[in-house]
Amino acid sequence: MKRTSPLPLIVLLLAQLAARPAAQAAPSATVEFNRDVRPILSENCFACHGPDKAARKADLRLDTREGATATTDGVTAVVPGKPDASELIARILTTDADDVMPPKKSGKHLTAAQKETLRRWIEQGADYQRHWSFEPPKRVTPPPVSGATHPVVPRSGDTPVAEAKGKVSENKGDKSVAAPGVPRIFNPIDAFIVAKLQESKLKPSPPADLHTLIRRVSLDLIGLPPTPAEVDAFVQAAAKDADGAYRALVDRLLASPHYGERWGRWWLDQARYADSNGYSIDAPRQIWKFRDWVIGALNADMGFDQFTIEQLAGDLLPNATESQKIATGFHRNTQINQEGGIDKEQFRVDSVFDRVATTGTVWLGLTVGCAQCHDHKFDPIEQKEYYRLFAFLNNQDEPTLKVFDRRVDVSGLTAEFQDIEAKLKAYLKEHADELAKWEAGLTPEIKKSLSPAITKIVAVPKAKRTFAQNQTLFAAGVGGVGPFRELNDRYKELDTLLNNGVTTMVMKELPMPRKTTVFIKGDFTRPADEVTPGTPAVLHPLNAERGTRNTESPPTRLDLARWIVSPQNPLTARVIVNRVWQHYFGRGLVETENDFGLQGTPPSHPELLDWLAVEFQQPTATPHSPSPIPYSLKSLHRLIVTSHTYRQSSADRADLRAKDPGNYLLARQQRLRLDAEIVRDAALAASGLLSLKLGGPPVYPPIPDGVMGQGQVKRTWAVSKGEDKFRRGIYTFVYRATPPPSLNVFDAPDGFSSCTRRIRSNTPLQALTLMNDSGFFEFATALEKIIQQDGLETAFRRCTSRAPKADELAVLKKLDPLNAARALLNLDETFTRE
Amino acid sequence: MNAMHPDHALRDLTRRHFFSRCSMGVGSIALASLMAERGLAAAPAAKIRNPLEPKRTHFPAKAKNVIFLFMAGGPSQLDLFEHKPKLTELNGQPIPDSYTAGKRFAFMDTSHRSNLLGSRRTFKQHGKSGAWVSDLLPWTAGIVDEISLVTTCKTELFNHAPAKLFMNTGSGQFGRPSMGSWVTYGLGSECDDLPGFVVLQSGPRGPRGGAVLWGSGILPTTYQGVPLRNQGDPILNLSTPKSINEVQQRQLVDAVRELNLKRLVETGDDEISTRINAYEMAYRMQTSAPELMDTGGESQATLDLYGIKDAKETTFARNCLLARRLVERGVRFVQLYDTNWDHHGGPTENLEKHLPENCRAIDHPSAALVRDLKQRGLLDDTIVIWGGEFGRTPMGEVRESTGRNHHIDAFTMWLAGGGFKAGQVYGQTDEFGFGAVENPVHVHDLHATILHQLGLDHERLTVKSQGLDFRLTGVSHASIVKGLLA
Repeated sequence: MKRTSPLPLIVLLLAQLAARPAAQAAPSATVEFNRDVRPILSENCFACHGPDKAARKADLRLDTREGATATTDGVTAVVPGKPDASELIARILTTDADDVMPPKKSGKHLTAAQKETLRRWIEQGADYQRHWSFEPPKRVTPPPVSGATHPVVPRSGDTPVAEAKGKVSENKGDKSVAAPGVPRIFNPIDAFIVAKLQESKLKPSPPADLHTLIRRVSLDLIGLPPTPAEVDAFVQAAAKDADGAYRALVDRLLASPHYGERWGRWWLDQARYADSNGYSIDAPRQIWKFRDWVIGALNADMGFDQFTIEQLAGDLLPNATESQKIATGFHRNTQINQEGGIDKEQFRVDSVFDRVATTGTVWLGLTVGCAQCHDHKFDPIEQKEYYRLFAFLNNQDEPTLKVFDRRVDVSGLTAEFQDIEAKLKAYLKEHADELAKWEAGLTPEIKKSLSPAITKIVAVPKAKRTFAQNQTLFAAGVGGVGPFRELNDRYKELDTLLNNGVTTMVMKELPMPRKTTVFIKGDFTRPADEVTPGTPAVLHPLNAERGTRNTESPPTRLDLARWIVSPQNPLTARVIVNRVWQHYFGRGLVETENDFGLQGTPPSHPELLDWLAVEFQQPTATPHSPSPIPYSLKSLHRLIVTSHTYRQSSADRADLRAKDPGNYLLARQQRLRLDAEIVRDAALAASGLLSLKLGGPPVYPPIPDGVMGQGQVKRTWAVSKGEDKFRRGIYTFVYRATPPPSLNVFDAPDGFSSCTRRIRSNTPLQALTLMNDSGFFEFATALEKIIQQDGLETAFRRCTSRAPKADELAVLKKLDPLNAARALLNLDETFTRE
Repeated sequence: MNAMHPDHALRDLTRRHFFSRCSMGVGSIALASLMAERGLAAAPAAKIRNPLEPKRTHFPAKAKNVIFLFMAGGPSQLDLFEHKPKLTELNGQPIPDSYTAGKRFAFMDTSHRSNLLGSRRTFKQHGKSGAWVSDLLPWTAGIVDEISLVTTCKTELFNHAPAKLFMNTGSGQFGRPSMGSWVTYGLGSECDDLPGFVVLQSGPRGPRGGAVLWGSGILPTTYQGVPLRNQGDPILNLSTPKSINEVQQRQLVDAVRELNLKRLVETGDDEISTRINAYEMAYRMQTSAPELMDTGGESQATLDLYGIKDAKETTFARNCLLARRLVERGVRFVQLYDTNWDHHGGPTENLEKHLPENCRAIDHPSAALVRDLKQRGLLDDTIVIWGGEFGRTPMGEVRESTGRNHHIDAFTMWLAGGGFKAGQVYGQTDEFGFGAVENPVHVHDLHATILHQLGLDHERLTVKSQGLDFRLTGVSHASIVKGLLA
């Protein structure tokens, strides 16, 4: 799309490069539909001349060759080979304001280069290609790399397949910005990356310093920084065998139970997990068993296919285990509206909409939710197909499952329960006249609208009512808001925890499926044609997955789940490897990680993406499984983090600033600010306070006063005691409507909808949090003690995993120990993965 | 501004603003030469900014700031602005089916009723515009010639949280940026020591929906509304920990800056320069936010104008005064929430007792805000919006005291300043005030019009997500309501 620009235009070019994968920067002479043409048509034309029948103008569709070349009223949009006879070209070139396409009011505009591309495309025959992501991924032999001594083996192995010959400049200590090294090819990932770099006459960066490397891979795999002792041990081992020591480190980290916590959060973002019901009432809910299930499944390296099936349809598996039922909590992470005066069906339908959209985004990387109201404007998904997907997810009962858990702190919670009970009793006594007044005001009309339970209590003489009855009545009457509600909700929560065991929300199929119809404009009050469960025609067929089961009966969620993880599915493996990749480099190979459709950006390294996707689907041996399993996430992680591409330095370089300022080509690693929870974890680890307790009910670390009063209902936040105060961020209780400020301020997702990529903002409120928040201040006081006992240098190493330089130490020495501790916890480097 | 991925928007800004405000400590020239030694090209010498730096509008703007007075719960237009004698005449009679056929309401299964409820308020016409205002809003009645009263506002959702989301984000779905976020994203802020989008609250509880109402959704949190709290720190974590004195805090900020600068030179990562800016702004906020909240310097005449009796007490009146102070300081978007306007009837929120109480709390200060902005020459630049997420039904609810259900077909809001026409009633509703008979104004139209006045084209103010260009006004057509503009 972009041509080579003369030097004075370099700034402009850089800006454009930053916004688009550099892969697109240099077009080859032959116009390729998928690479060059489709993005132009999709962005500028398809909204009115695309798949959506209802929105189509002039009866012209440009998303298919048939449509584009058809002649209507003597006019043909595209005449292959003859741009001058093509109406499309005439209309994009005209200066007539009434005729020009795209029309002015669309706000769209074609550049001269884009017009030229379209012209040449027609000249070359106007060939169409199926959208790349709908074709199955192909395993391409990794390209040969000049400068590498050994040929690249097309399968990843556990040993470096090739090592560059010649002088490899080892990056020593301080020189973060070192000269680009000679290509190192540890595995095929590097071959793909280096080949592309060589096209742009760029070289990868040298390996990162050892301390940077161990810090990077520790934060990436387990979400915790290494201890100084771990750094020392690694540096020592690496002196003997750099690669061997690194591989051993990677294996140790992948075997750590904290791996599941770190990557569990990756998945929980996508599962829109949180601990409350959302909307305005936002009452607490129990679904942390699902969170622990995710952590456990990842730690056990459950194949991603099984991981998918259990979450989407674990309850439908033959002899489903408790664990498989817990897994179905995935789709119970939708909000529940408990506001008065709602139409329950409306919000049930809304939650199914959310489930369809989430399934599409998370597993297919498609914006299927767009077809809720109309045919998709860009992708070949009809509205009717949307409702066929909807039909799979429309037949559930939404029960809770009782699970008894050993990890609940019975004595602590019992004490709190008794305390709250006493407070409630006192409150009821104190406010007895309010209740009396409310009762006195009950007209016969109102009485009729009361629930049977309440009517029954009202009938009991006042003096004879039990505490529980008074409590229920008060809650139904005047206690709907205010302090009573606060106490009462916590009381009920504790009651459930203590007396009914732990519950968790699960899916269960209804004996009789609900009828599903298309909803006109997505409006549930406007049902249209009835539909049966089915999958979009553009993708692989559903029936292939149903095997020997009776194909007469309608397909179920289980069939849907199996269809998703079918080897024929062109999308899921790509989507998942891309989403893992993005965690390591800050951006996916497909930048639009939640849209692999026509409006998404094309992959920067299409062959690499496909190679990884196919590799992911291959059975690989893992330390955790006796026989090789396909879809091993741990193998995928190992593959990526052992590449040179991952291990290289992240320091910026002058040549890259000019040629690839957005780092699309990955000639260096990328500094990334830590995720919200890990900002907390890293500070806790540095200050020595971190509790490494795994799993269990969510905890309540200190939060600033007054935060819980923001929602409609004020909530109590009983600060956890003992080590629970210092648990990892993933265990912090999250109210959707009132998220914990120190997580929210660092862009933790809100749990309202699936989050496939976190934004990394950089704001003054983050600075205020790290400097002044009482929680972080507490960490600083603990780090102060470390400074006093072990010295500044140790404290510095605990925060950054490296030794301070003399001038850095000098800056810190000017401060008192507490302030030095605060400064260390506020360093950009402390909460950045370099 | 073309649609950008939100991360790009940030990164792009950071790049352009490389070395911003690094004039303290290591000077920017010294830094540039240090960077040059590292082989990293010095950044453009342009003036350096932060992500909230003022940006260029799409076209010349009529207004610069917005103050949105949000009556959370849905004020009853039929007891405040909509004089409907027919409703009084037919009090207690069922509403004709032609009005309600096919309509859905909140509380369909319980308390919703279809009998008309006449207002018990006294209505009079006021000002040159002859706008009807009830006895509950005497002060507002005094400014009718400064405002455009829109009686035909229309929304799509009739439960509180979804409708509030809709009014704020143009969608009932979660995860969309709120109007304040869009505006600060589009325009930046002219204040460099306070957030660009500030939220103030009054009333017995927080608004339904909570923080999502001022959330930044798919935009970076840089643009999210920051609640200024009346108790404790005005901004969370604003004050220095108790045992730390001011000198120590400055030493901390200086040391962090110095060490971060060293890292910036080592790594060449522009994010660190943004971080350095963020710490400087945070430090400035520690002074400027308490200064903002301290109304001690305001004259007695000003306090009287707003009807503030005790300047320390959290009231809507105090929040109105703070809103003016915020706008004076260049803060782009200020939103005030006043809660408990959900007058269904019953012991806690009814039309007899509670609506008058709510009105007493907000009437005087709302009018004062408009007057005060005007006398200080700020009204021309500032759009003041008054209204809730929806209105209330002409039908009454049968509870022990009177009330009305949620109503979305026609409700009243008013706008003042910022190029909106002064002194008019816009739109006409039917004899019961059920629906518009002329000039309906959909929430999306309102949004488009407000953005227009700020110099932003609602079709061009977009952000890319999931392959789509998201915008405040959604996918369906929205128009600029020319009739509202001066």
